[in-house]
Amino acid sequence: MSWQLDRRRFLRGAAGPLLPLPFLNLMERKASGAAADGPPIRFMTLFKPNGVHPPSWSINGGTEFDFRMSPLMQPFAKHKQDLLILDNMGDFGFSSHANSTRRFLSGHHRNTKSASVDQLIASRIGKGTPHRSLELTTEGLFPNQIGCSYISYDSNGDPIPRESDPQLIFDRIFRSPMRNQAKRREMKSVLDRVSEDAKSLSRTAGAEDKQTLDQYLSVVRSTEKRIDNIAASSNDIPKATMERPLAPANLNEQVESMLDLISLALWTDSTRCVTYMLGNSNSRMIFDFLGVKEQHHYLSHFFRNFSRQNLDALLKISLWHMEKFDYLLTRMKSYRDHHGSLLDHSVVLYGSGMGHSDNHTATRIPIILAGQGGGLLKTGRYVRYDENQQLGRLHLALLKMFDADQDSFAYSTSPLPGLNGSDFTPYSEQPFESWVKQGDGTITVQGRLRLSDNLDEARIFLIDVQGQPSVRIDVAFRDFHDFNLAYHCGTAVKITGTVTEKNGQSVITKVHKLDSLFGKKPGSANG
Amino acid sequence: MIKMEESIISPPGDPACTPFQRAHPLSHRLSLLWIFIGLGITLPLPRLSADNEQDKTNSANSAHSAKDPTLNYQITIRPLLSKHCFQCHGDGDEVHGEINLRELETEQQIKAAFELWSDVLEVIDSDTMPPESQPRLSSAEIAQFKSWYQKTLVDTIQPLPDVLRPRRLSAHEYRQTLRSIFGFDLEVSIAEAEQTIVEKSLVMKLLPVDPPGPSGFKNDTSANPLTTNVWEQYSFLIDDALEQWLAPGPRDHLEVVTGPIAGEHMTPKQANQVLQWMLRHAYRRPPDADTVAASLATIDGKRGAELESALRIELKSVLMSPPFIYRSLLAKVDDPKSTNQVGKPVLYGRVDDHELAERLSYFLWGDMPDDHLMQLATRGKLRDPDIYAREIARMLADPKSQNLAHNFGVEWFSLNEISKVSNNPPVSHALRQQPIDFLNYLFTEGRPLLELIDSKVAFVNPHTAKYYPGDRKRMTAYRKQRGIEVEAVPNQRLELTNTPERGGLLTMPGVLAMNKGPVIRGTWMLERVMGEHLPDPPANVGQVKPNQRGENLSFRERFEVHRSNTTCAICHNKIDPLGFAMQSYDAGGNYQPAGSTNSNGSKKRKQKDSKQPQDQNTPTALKPLDTSGQLPSGESFEDYRGLQRILVKSQRRTVIENIVKRILSYALARELRVNDMPTVDAICSELDRHGNLKQQEGTYHDLIHLVANSLPFTHAQPQHIKHN
Repeated sequence: MSWQLDRRRFLRGAAGPLLPLPFLNLMERKASGAAADGPPIRFMTLFKPNGVHPPSWSINGGTEFDFRMSPLMQPFAKHKQDLLILDNMGDFGFSSHANSTRRFLSGHHRNTKSASVDQLIASRIGKGTPHRSLELTTEGLFPNQIGCSYISYDSNGDPIPRESDPQLIFDRIFRSPMRNQAKRREMKSVLDRVSEDAKSLSRTAGAEDKQTLDQYLSVVRSTEKRIDNIAASSNDIPKATMERPLAPANLNEQVESMLDLISLALWTDSTRCVTYMLGNSNSRMIFDFLGVKEQHHYLSHFFRNFSRQNLDALLKISLWHMEKFDYLLTRMKSYRDHHGSLLDHSVVLYGSGMGHSDNHTATRIPIILAGQGGGLLKTGRYVRYDENQQLGRLHLALLKMFDADQDSFAYSTSPLPGLNGSDFTPYSEQPFESWVKQGDGTITVQGRLRLSDNLDEARIFLIDVQGQPSVRIDVAFRDFHDFNLAYHCGTAVKITGTVTEKNGQSVITKVHKLDSLFGKKPGSANG
Repeated sequence: MIKMEESIISPPGDPACTPFQRAHPLSHRLSLLWIFIGLGITLPLPRLSADNEQDKTNSANSAHSAKDPTLNYQITIRPLLSKHCFQCHGDGDEVHGEINLRELETEQQIKAAFELWSDVLEVIDSDTMPPESQPRLSSAEIAQFKSWYQKTLVDTIQPLPDVLRPRRLSAHEYRQTLRSIFGFDLEVSIAEAEQTIVEKSLVMKLLPVDPPGPSGFKNDTSANPLTTNVWEQYSFLIDDALEQWLAPGPRDHLEVVTGPIAGEHMTPKQANQVLQWMLRHAYRRPPDADTVAASLATIDGKRGAELESALRIELKSVLMSPPFIYRSLLAKVDDPKSTNQVGKPVLYGRVDDHELAERLSYFLWGDMPDDHLMQLATRGKLRDPDIYAREIARMLADPKSQNLAHNFGVEWFSLNEISKVSNNPPVSHALRQQPIDFLNYLFTEGRPLLELIDSKVAFVNPHTAKYYPGDRKRMTAYRKQRGIEVEAVPNQRLELTNTPERGGLLTMPGVLAMNKGPVIRGTWMLERVMGEHLPDPPANVGQVKPNQRGENLSFRERFEVHRSNTTCAICHNKIDPLGFAMQSYDAGGNYQPAGSTNSNGSKKRKQKDSKQPQDQNTPTALKPLDTSGQLPSGESFEDYRGLQRILVKSQRRTVIENIVKRILSYALARELRVNDMPTVDAICSELDRHGNLKQQEGTYHDLIHLVANSLPFTHAQPQHIKHN
């Protein structure tokens, strides 16, 4: 696609590790707080704004090891073995944007006096690195509900300022005289030149000029001293093939540059803890580079502002969010050494604080963990709990993994089970049979209704039937609307309709009747 | 943690709320002896003969006592003050109103307190002080004080420019200057979305927020020195700018200087060109030959990548060097002549042409001179009054003159406070942009001075349209695009024909809403519009007492009770009439006609952050709003419209004088001193002359020309010779 034109010269190409091996020694020497002989464990969080569109996001049916990834998950389906997909995470009821944002890393919207989980983890693993943690974002502050702009909070529960500019981050991490000998040399020669200048001006200066120049020279001298001190105790990053990212031309370039940098910062052990918001939780960004002209928040209310065109636009944005998660995982896998990949030694948390983006339910919040965390997580699984699990339980489980001495977090007192493969109580669905009866141009089919995996044709639905090909539903907008097909997505239904055959598959072209097996009617239940 | 970014979490110290420097309407009593506006001024000869051996204070038995102002002070005035004033203003544990007259002893201290003395004269003259419980001054004593004041602080004050002082560029000036040099703004990569606040400028984001200097303006960086932190941010910013400027690939901005660059690298000739160009622009004047030679030596003999790398470091050194980051560091005083300042010879003369160009461009644009202005300076053309005037007109017509509204205007009226009125950015943007667009219109379109207060033009958008019910229907309709929930909308210019309750700065909803309640509104008007400085209220001041059982007094009536206390009355007699006149507008800036009941009181109770005395009583019966009042000068009015008429008629000189002082202080980027007062007076008179001719006061264009031609703007004293 044209917007993906690669304008950056930075660490690009699928050439695998771009940094020379000496880095590894550097990291291992410094690894502290981790297993004595292994690389350090990193914690990375990627936040997705404006909840999800459940018909395209949710996994329905399936078991822990045998499940079908949803249409929205297709962009990162190739990482299935590195993922731990959690379901039934959240609280009962509904949630504002601001509350859901706080929930994402603080467990509960009322948990406002404590650090968020990333900061608690950073205080365990971040001490020996040049940057204890990085808090990053893509867009400006939303002052109307300030909580929408922050996921990371300090130990007083106050929001931590975020940074959005990849160039700025690059310079602070890799170009700072703190860790770059070439930069220090250059600064020294600038200091020499300017103090020469200042001194020669000073010789002919009057009293007022001289006072100013003296002040100037004293700043120059203390900067010199500082540089000398750094040089004496420095832990430089070897000058590698790193190049500074160019100024991004659009949001996609901005985010990909940042994801490149995050991976590199984690790999070079510049930091071990990063949070990155793909947008404020009620983001009104306009994704013009995707050809979308409407504001994201407007589109995310896909029911209230329903139109085919709006839904298509929302799904384009949602897919982009998923592609960025894929981008991050791919990048993290590309850094490897004899211990394995960077992803193998990281815990990545991806998701949101809200489930359904139109009615703001706090149930079935999208949460995916990725990476084995050096054995802390057992991936390649879909874990759907029997009932709602507060995010605080997940956070508590993460804190335990990172050896934090904490018995409760955000009103949760027991850690979420099952992350490392331990027992948990799975969700059990009421069993139902699936079958097809066909004849005479009509068909009656019973089974689970789902959205097509191909979101370019999001108006197509399928009913899965055990042991037989799925029945495709390709109907006019009228039927889609009258029978509220999207609402029944993921549940067991019985549909009667007009059928034709296309490429050996039964296709319903007109719905006559739709029954929900377990009796839920639109509007009678949450979500 | 890397912590950078937005300032919303811990709002930077707001410049806006710092009280403005002492300024007083009374100084128009200063006799207008000095006419010196315009180029080629001749200064009146000093009327006192030189008497320079008599510099020290307290030499009471000197033969020259009659001509020594300090001595006169010691013999006649100080005993008088000691008798009537020191008890409260100098002695004891508590110094009333933060005014300590006993401290003022040396000539320097006495002169520096010139505005305080005019306050003292005013309170003595109006019999406000000493307080009622104390004996009055006799008329002979008052006459004695007046005579001393006239001789010491009026008659002998000659206009005198300040010494040339280097001044660090403010963050805003630094940003503009870098942009002018490189041809692009340094920006942060951040997605812009509606209802979010984004600081796009990397300079404004990284540099510490400038506190306003002693003048009250941020361009006065005299109290804001260079620190290692600022140094590091400069270094970071210059690296960033040079990185972009010199980056391979299309080098459009660089080729403006070098011409087309063939191949991968610049030629040595082009690099020389770049360096010389940069020296001239960074120093904002042609560099001397030694500087150029030393600079060129750093890239001498180098080629290709090595050349560009050496060039980058040398360019960085130039942009980190003192002549770039400080204004006036290389300035000179041309041909200084000796004059006599109360017995002391003083040298001063015109500032050199490049200094004048720099003063003018930072005044009008907040930016360095452009090539046109620099060339005129190099060719010595700015000395031609016609050319100089044409340059001023050209610069005012340039969009960069928005600086006057965006910086000078915003800081003068503390308009950043409006951002706190609403959490909704499109709304607070609309409320704040309204006065800014209005001030820009006044300044750049050369409107009459007092349209500040009385104007028929407003700048309105859909968020502010509701405040203009009589005229809003003439606005061009605004329609949101499909899928857009909220967005900021630009203002439209609206002629007010049918909204009598609005017009001028004081009735703009954002301005009214940022100052809630009569006391804060009155204080703000007194300080920002009338130019008066008020001391902080005494610490032990009580709140306005709630209604006692059986009483049914309105907030205002209870306030009158409070004001009957003489300590309070000194300030509140000035504040309250102004503030209560604005009570026709509620805390949100909505109009509530006089005669309606005052619902303000009960609303204010919910306003937890309101600093004014709270109405703690539930009014049993609401009384009609009383917006009438009487100024200490005697004029009375029924409502704000009456007050408005007074401000633009009988009080016009006071308002104009304040306007003149503010803009002169901004233009000089420093606090005004006693020697600036003759300049202020002369400019005021000149503007009044315009008024007499045209039946109206002069315009902002007249004012800007007068300021740009004034003695302190065009002249300076050379620096003192260092003693090493």
